[in-house]
Amino acid sequence: MNHKGDFLSLLKHADTLHGDTKTTPNASDAKLNATLNTLQGTKNAMRETFQIPTQAHTLELTEATTVVGMRYNDGIIIAGDRRATAGTSVVHDRAEKVLPIDTHSVLAISGAPAMAYEIARVLKHSFQYFRRSQLQELSVEGKLRTLSRLIRDNLPMAMQGIGAVIPIFALYAPQTDETENSGKIYFYDALGAHFENVDFATTGSGSVWIRGVLRYLDRWGETRLEHMDQRTATITILRLLDTASEYDAATSGYNAKAEIFPTVKTITQLGVETLSDKYLKECYAEAT
Amino acid sequence: MRDLPYRWIEAIQDRRDYIEDQLRLGSPVVGLPYAQGSLLLTVTKGAQKIFEVHDRIALSAIGHPADIERLRMLVTDTASVQSFQSATEDVNLHRLTHYVLAHTFKQAFEAIVGEAYIIKMLLVEIGNGEAKTQFTHINYDGNVKVQHDSAVIGGTLEIENAMQEYLTAAQTNSERDLNTALKLALNTWAVGKRLSKRFEDAEENTKVTDEQIHEIIKTELKEGEIEVGILDTNLPADTKFRLLTQDEIHTARKTN
Repeated sequence: MNHKGDFLSLLKHADTLHGDTKTTPNASDAKLNATLNTLQGTKNAMRETFQIPTQAHTLELTEATTVVGMRYNDGIIIAGDRRATAGTSVVHDRAEKVLPIDTHSVLAISGAPAMAYEIARVLKHSFQYFRRSQLQELSVEGKLRTLSRLIRDNLPMAMQGIGAVIPIFALYAPQTDETENSGKIYFYDALGAHFENVDFATTGSGSVWIRGVLRYLDRWGETRLEHMDQRTATITILRLLDTASEYDAATSGYNAKAEIFPTVKTITQLGVETLSDKYLKECYAEAT
Repeated sequence: MRDLPYRWIEAIQDRRDYIEDQLRLGSPVVGLPYAQGSLLLTVTKGAQKIFEVHDRIALSAIGHPADIERLRMLVTDTASVQSFQSATEDVNLHRLTHYVLAHTFKQAFEAIVGEAYIIKMLLVEIGNGEAKTQFTHINYDGNVKVQHDSAVIGGTLEIENAMQEYLTAAQTNSERDLNTALKLALNTWAVGKRLSKRFEDAEENTKVTDEQIHEIIKTELKEGEIEVGILDTNLPADTKFRLLTQDEIHTARKTN
């Protein structure tokens, strides 16, 4: 039994559940290594599969692109485009890059989806397991450190240029004063260091085109980002993604023909909510 | 001792008597379905007794707190690992009870040189889509009983039978709302609690009147508080479990 609430530690000893006496300690270690390898990948297998003896950057892996989060008057609004690319090819136009982790937190991913989805999955299970085993929610600091650890474990893949994941982690701390906006946005680097961004954060290849716009809006806009209501914040974030898609080929805009909208979620005192396509369509009509 | 069958059976019987004696005064637990899910209800004096196991599975138990904690962790760990290694949909109550808990209970109970678990456990799983709600009652000796309409655990079989009779006589159905289910569950709990106190008072009568039900609730709530865990299909998150707040319980009890 694992009384630390640490999910990765539980996986290490998973074989000893059910009183399985046949499992040796070595088999448990092997299981751990296998599990951790799903995060770190296997360099040699990738190289053999894709026949890249030396230059990893020549491999055209699927990548995800622009995500942006900002504070508004009720909490956090966070959005991501839907395009996944491999080199100059669009491989998917319905990718989900804004992933709910628990009732009050969201991970928005840029980089290699394969690694990012796995990190999100481990994160989700870790938070759930802590709550179920320890009978309380993991603290904000605990959540941040768990994600740091997963990103740091992914460093070998990032160093090879085939699996970097640079996420934005946004959450709402519901236990604080209800009248105060306790939404928080954190930005990570590839080594797992986290930094709190007070008003906004953006990452991915299209982020360079909108970071300055965000700064401008927040400093000199008619309404500061954190004072916007949900509709204004939604329109603003859709315009930002549209701007990114204009200059970055790896970011998609709103596809009117196929009715593919960006993913937009809010995180408030009430929890994570996904804004409906109908609502986004109305906002787009107002935004253009 | 196994080379002498009579002594082994005697030892098992002694163990059974000892465990039942320990469980006799435990605060009963009631499991009832309602229109949007299922609830577990008990009255506690501090320690939490209703727990989330997985997205659609919850448990409660009576017995020794250390045993409850150990077995709660076993089933929670198993469900979490299974969910991670395959998928959430692959975790189900049947597997957890029949392949993990039941044989653990039985093994501990029959290994007469070791420690037995002093516990009775009630687990509930709400169905996904068309699947029915399932209650599973596991006895300290590993015996499993599966029910769909309602389930109870109490200190003795006699107490459990009386509680089930009260539920049957109430003649409500699983389409009841949460408030109705909560009030019915609380009254059923009171029937069980009254009968377990009867052992203390050495009374013979097993009939519990409405006045006695109200009296026992009033008395017990001076020191304890009602604990209600629900698995509600209307909850937006993957996890359907939550504990009701004391305000919600208070409001539900006042609603007609």
